[in-house]
Amino acid sequence: MAARRRQDRVLLPGEREGRRGFLKKGLLGGAILAVGGAAWLATRKTRPAPELGGPFQVLSAAEATVVLAAASRFIPEHWRFPGPGQVGVPRKVDAILEMADPATQKEVKRLLGLLENALAGLLLDGQFRTFTASPPEEQDRRLQAWAASRLTVRRTGFRALQKMVFAAYYASPETYGAVGYPGPPGAVTPSLVREPERRREAEQPAAAERPPEPAPAPRPRAPRPPDVPAPRPLEEEPAPRTGVGPAEKREP
Amino acid sequence: MSDRPATGRILTGADVRRDVEERPDVCVVGSGAGGAVVAARLAGMGARVVVLEAGGHFTRGDYKMQEAVAYPQLYQDKGQRATADQAITILQGRAVGGSTVVNWTTSYRVPDRVLAHWARVHGVEGLTPEVLAPHFAAVEERLDIREQPLEEANANNRVLWDGAGRLGIDRSMVRRNVRGCQNLGYCGMGCPVDGKGSMDLTYLPDAVSGGAKVYANVRATRIERAGRRATAVHGAVLDPRTDRPTGRKVVVRPKLLVLAGGAVNTPELLLRSDITSGGRVGRRTFLHPVTAAVGIFPHAIDGFYGAPQSVASQAFVDRGPGKVGFFLEASPVHPMLASTAAGGFGPEHQQVMARLSHLSALIVLAIDGFLPDEEGGTVSLRSDGRLRIEYPVRPEVWEALREGTKTLARIHLAAGAEVAYSLHQDPVAIRSEGDLRLLDRAPWEPLRVNLFSAHAMGGCAMGRDPERSVVDSRLRMHLLENVYVVDGSVLPTALGVNPQETIFGLAHWAAGHIGAAIR
Repeated sequence: MAARRRQDRVLLPGEREGRRGFLKKGLLGGAILAVGGAAWLATRKTRPAPELGGPFQVLSAAEATVVLAAASRFIPEHWRFPGPGQVGVPRKVDAILEMADPATQKEVKRLLGLLENALAGLLLDGQFRTFTASPPEEQDRRLQAWAASRLTVRRTGFRALQKMVFAAYYASPETYGAVGYPGPPGAVTPSLVREPERRREAEQPAAAERPPEPAPAPRPRAPRPPDVPAPRPLEEEPAPRTGVGPAEKREP
Repeated sequence: MSDRPATGRILTGADVRRDVEERPDVCVVGSGAGGAVVAARLAGMGARVVVLEAGGHFTRGDYKMQEAVAYPQLYQDKGQRATADQAITILQGRAVGGSTVVNWTTSYRVPDRVLAHWARVHGVEGLTPEVLAPHFAAVEERLDIREQPLEEANANNRVLWDGAGRLGIDRSMVRRNVRGCQNLGYCGMGCPVDGKGSMDLTYLPDAVSGGAKVYANVRATRIERAGRRATAVHGAVLDPRTDRPTGRKVVVRPKLLVLAGGAVNTPELLLRSDITSGGRVGRRTFLHPVTAAVGIFPHAIDGFYGAPQSVASQAFVDRGPGKVGFFLEASPVHPMLASTAAGGFGPEHQQVMARLSHLSALIVLAIDGFLPDEEGGTVSLRSDGRLRIEYPVRPEVWEALREGTKTLARIHLAAGAEVAYSLHQDPVAIRSEGDLRLLDRAPWEPLRVNLFSAHAMGGCAMGRDPERSVVDSRLRMHLLENVYVVDGSVLPTALGVNPQETIFGLAHWAAGHIGAAIR
């Protein structure tokens, strides 16, 4: 009973209180929840990822595992990009949350619980699996379902997660090389900064000051399952995207 | 106004070891564009001034030019401020100096047409270009506001200059409040070379040398009132290291109270004090909602370096009746900001991020608040006490953002971009003019395209009619005779230009009659 009452109070970041019922029905199916979905969920435990890098102040190990799993789809494996685990995304998301209001923390924890929820997997993919236990392509589908949902509240949840993960990852200096960002100018004092600025401008065509293309870094992350296509080389033209429209396919 | 100390000082939360009570002539809540200018002017007139600022006091050595440091340190809600539905990320500074510490230095006087609109529609009396002109002139001199030369525009701003030029779209160089600017590109993270005319380096030192006492790390929590007068402001002292309350309190019992916390925090403080002005406090919040188009270029743009904003286009501010105008500017291109702006996830998002150094980011800002029945957003308090900002984006604003995105994409292509992307969660790719119609088919709805705001305005609108506004045309609250609001919250509409200089000018002007009201 207690668990069910907690589910009734699911409130995502920014959700209006009046939308609780709407969320329940739209997201998980009111009927299933009403027969005690939360208790059912409890039979599917999140297995904490070994590379979490805690301890955490706000997130549980299970919630941090969900963050890492989502981050690994947001920034999928690519030789130029350090893995979200290497960069410590769960710890950094935890740090972002630690600065937030306790009520906001609770909302984000609920959001992660909902994303992980096996019932949601059942409804979205016909697979009774938690998010973290799902194969990558199913995880992508589930994230996409949140991002493109008709329900504002699910898009809100996706946006909250997207901003936290990208902020945690791309604000990390370890990722600067992957995006070709040399980082802030060094040794900044009023007398020193002019020169590097000028030099940078002068050398822009040759790009001599830019760091060399990063070499492939050893990747401790698990290899991608064979059925998932490897990422395109990033130097290529972006290939046509799905769902953009026919003109996408025209010659540039 | 007697027995004032020869010189004031800036104290931080660490300096306040026991509860403090102050009885100055004026208490100014907030030390940004409005509060700092008022404090300096009043102190210069001989008034005893106490300033309360929730943010910390930082100096150039504190600015590390790292997004991971700067946003939690220098922005409201640690950089996490957004509308309740997360659809619009709201960037507002939080420091001694307010948003002027982190803004991109773009400086405009309020356009004449906006003042005329306020007079006609909102009953604002006596605020004319002629009345404000000497105040703007004084501010421009104090802050070294002048035009950025074209040769100092970075490649990102050159895209706007060149692309718009080739399309015959009017554009101009931006005026900036900088001195000794090194064009580093880190205005948004605090200037590490003191190159900005931000308030912490200009009007606040003026205020302090006039005797003002500035309390950093003191968050105003409640206004106490008796009848039509505010009698005290209660402040909670925050630990400068953790930003958490230390338990110490500062109580200020001033003759006059000036609220200058900005368009979100001033309404918030009034609402926390149960001062609602008949429900009008926290209404008519305008944001200049922003989206962007990013262009990918064959050559390096390095938009993370160089003055973030030096070129702008005001060509589309007046699009005719029933339409929302927009203006165009550039944005710095740092990894975190870019990654949270670009839509989608996975390989496609990564592909855009991998070309960050070849990426140009141009923004369209919708000019909200001018349609006859346009009410903008709201600032309110949740039942659990948290702040809530809501902003329903009107169809006319979406239309402006869509047409603005088309214009930006055309500018990118004209400047040589291989492709331009919208900020949709399913990004629209534009490789030719013919692709622009894809933007008509794209969903312009909350959370399907990423929106930002760096210009929160309104919430305590000025006007003649107490039934329709919160402060009068001289910025005094209709409800409370010794309380003035001097910040972006008094603006009855958005401005159509970056707001800092308008707020400087209004504050410089208002300080004249606020000073005269001290008895």
